[in-house]
Amino acid sequence: MIRDHISLDGIDRYLAETGVQESDFVLVEPSDFTGEIFAVDGSNVSICNWSMASVNLIRAGYAVYRGRVWRRTVITFDDVFMADAKLCRNMFDPYLEQFFGLKGIDLKESDLDRLSSYYRELQEYVAINETLGEAHAGDIILYDGSFDVFELLRGALAVIFARAEEKGVALLAVAKSSSLFWGEEITLPFVQHTSTIGSGLLPEAAWYLSLKDKKVDAGQGRWNGETYVVRFCGESEHDFRVDAPLFLQDEMGSVLGKLAAYSCSSECLGYPHALFRAHRDIRITEQEGAAVRQRLMARLLESGMTHSEIRMLMQDFHDILEMRSGF
Amino acid sequence: MATTQEENQLRMGESLLNRKVIVKGDTTYKIVSKSVTEYHFTVPFILPDEERVEVGQIFSIKDQGLTFLARVLNIEHSSNYDGHWDTTMKGTQFFDQDQIFNRVIAEPLGCINKKLEFKKSRTLPTKFASVTRAEKEEFKFLSQVMGDIEVGYLRNGSRLVEEIPVALHSEAMDHHMGVFATTGMGKSNFMKVFAASCMRLFARGESKFGLLIVDPHGEYLKGKGPIKGLTHLKKYREGLACYSTNRQNASDPGVEELAISESEIFPQDIALLYEWSLPQRDALDTVSRIFDSASWLEEIQSPEGMARMVQEGFKDSTVMVLIRRIKNEMGRNPYIRKRSSLANILANLQKGKVVLVDIPRMSDRSELFLLSVISRYILDEYKKDEQEGQESRKNCLITIEEAQRVLGAGSNTARFESIAREGRKFGVGLCAITQQPKLIDKQLLSQFNTLVVMGLGDRNDRQHLEESAKQDLSSMDIEIQTLEKGEAVVSTLNIPFPVPARIHRYEDYLRRLEKEDKQESLITRGGFKPFLE
Repeated sequence: MIRDHISLDGIDRYLAETGVQESDFVLVEPSDFTGEIFAVDGSNVSICNWSMASVNLIRAGYAVYRGRVWRRTVITFDDVFMADAKLCRNMFDPYLEQFFGLKGIDLKESDLDRLSSYYRELQEYVAINETLGEAHAGDIILYDGSFDVFELLRGALAVIFARAEEKGVALLAVAKSSSLFWGEEITLPFVQHTSTIGSGLLPEAAWYLSLKDKKVDAGQGRWNGETYVVRFCGESEHDFRVDAPLFLQDEMGSVLGKLAAYSCSSECLGYPHALFRAHRDIRITEQEGAAVRQRLMARLLESGMTHSEIRMLMQDFHDILEMRSGF
Repeated sequence: MATTQEENQLRMGESLLNRKVIVKGDTTYKIVSKSVTEYHFTVPFILPDEERVEVGQIFSIKDQGLTFLARVLNIEHSSNYDGHWDTTMKGTQFFDQDQIFNRVIAEPLGCINKKLEFKKSRTLPTKFASVTRAEKEEFKFLSQVMGDIEVGYLRNGSRLVEEIPVALHSEAMDHHMGVFATTGMGKSNFMKVFAASCMRLFARGESKFGLLIVDPHGEYLKGKGPIKGLTHLKKYREGLACYSTNRQNASDPGVEELAISESEIFPQDIALLYEWSLPQRDALDTVSRIFDSASWLEEIQSPEGMARMVQEGFKDSTVMVLIRRIKNEMGRNPYIRKRSSLANILANLQKGKVVLVDIPRMSDRSELFLLSVISRYILDEYKKDEQEGQESRKNCLITIEEAQRVLGAGSNTARFESIAREGRKFGVGLCAITQQPKLIDKQLLSQFNTLVVMGLGDRNDRQHLEESAKQDLSSMDIEIQTLEKGEAVVSTLNIPFPVPARIHRYEDYLRRLEKEDKQESLITRGGFKPFLE
């Protein structure tokens, strides 16, 4: 059964059921690029969770490269976020209004995990917005993730697309894991199988495949853009889902060619290096999460809470089951 | 208009942002960890040859009012990533060279405070404190703790720090010194440099001890070919007294023909030369009881003497072996005469001179015999002086070449052991030279307070030394292993940590001494380039 999900028995069934043609695999020629590449990423770590609310540490920012040279990393948000569906609207609204000219959103029906994910995404969009302020026409902005986002934040994304188009900046979302599926009788992993077929058709080359009009389950798909599967580096066997706004559809070959030239680092072969750096510079490590947890406990004690109350607030019963100490 | 509205929105948004910008900075030459006993710092993973970091180099870490010094023990490939590329280099190249570096593991030596006082460090430098290669400024404090017997210059890795001479302390010489090196690493050169500095001290009226060198190879007196001897140091020749068993050498002005009086030879001196059976040893012990100590050598060889021994209950054959061996030694050592140089040698040592006993082409056994006679004589006389309260005489350092012969575990040479164990009380020190320290008794080795280590390839030799040394040499294992000819690690009590040195080449040192003003201070001189001339 597992084998049925993973293995690809020949190309014919794949081509027949997805509608992909061999000619849809387009060769990417790496090309020099003198502009800047911005890579936006975010990170989200749970600090504590007490069923009706939770506290997360969230960080967002971007790394900037010119060619192979890292220029800077900018952290645009680095703070704790308290998720409570009834109270946290005032944490979203100022950003939505001030950065994107949008009215607030209704979060009452959202569960706690989603709230912190929304907030992280919102902060990532703020970071993208910042890069748009810095970028020049012809530059490339990469976002770690997908543009196929929850409806609540689609408005912010629309503003970003519009600003990117107006400025002449290429904006792409690169997803490390994707939920693209194919298959009529069984749900099969699309990116992995496309990778196998791409390696056969265009060995040792970078390529891309547009999913426009293909029978591939690509999610909700109402975000005004196109989805691609891209191999950035011929020496690599890793492929990625790439989302791009519609305004880029005629330039994809050229934009991906520029990215291919900078996706061949020894550190992370086959992945746009700027995204690799952004991930490393922006991620919240376990130690950082633990340190914030300790600081929060100290502050709560100072504010008059007892150890017992703090334990109730912060201890996860899994810690007890796993015999992990933390208190 | 739309653009203006957007700009306004962006500007308004600024208040919500708390931007933190990380820009490219110096990510190497920084302390990154780890404890009071071990520092880790980072250096670029690609460096020009002349800037490469080497084991043994000393780095300084300036941290507010303190300057920490640390010696490189090891260097490792490292990075901020968990991945390893040692065998699978992928892609075209590293993009983020600031994330890849070499991790240097260093041993803290101590720290210097604002008053230029050096102390062992009980704390560690602040994380990310800057690290630089230590230069002459950081080593200045060493000049204040160096002694008066210059032997070389401070070495930082392969680099010479000419401003900081390495000099041993005269005061430490009665605490014994060990010179350890495999063949060809420069032991003889070191001894000549050491002796030249001692001669100089004598000439300046600053000598605090006499140095006895017994040279079985005939290389110290006049040298060989381009290799100079001690007599070539004309400027300070007055600090050298020479004795030779070689007639030709002895005919040179300032060289006396060596003579040892029969009366100065004791049965114990013969005893150490052979393996003896129990009855033979018993017979030797009896000799001093039944014969006059001044004429026993003559008496025992006479028929009457032999008869007395037999009367004492010894078999003919036992006594015959004894006599035969004595005759052999008398025949091998033509310097045994009626007159003696020993009193003269002692007087010169007590004045603080370098006394060179040149015994070229003498057998190993004869050398040992002579050394035994002289050493015993010296120790006995120093003991007497001590009892009589002779304060004016200088201490004495006796050099023993191939010291493992007489200081080895289980050797029957108690005389030298007794000098090692109790000589210090009477102002007599030993300078043991050997290429096999592993053969020296550990307890004896632990009595040596000054060690000059000049490259030991044998791990057992190093381990033996490290286990016995007063200062911790264990961390310097790699450095000692990789020392080149003329390089040394000098460990002595008065200098706070084992110091890497390059020993002067004797011929160059000689030139410098011949040129210098007699009263010029050697220690503060600097600027001498012994290997560049």
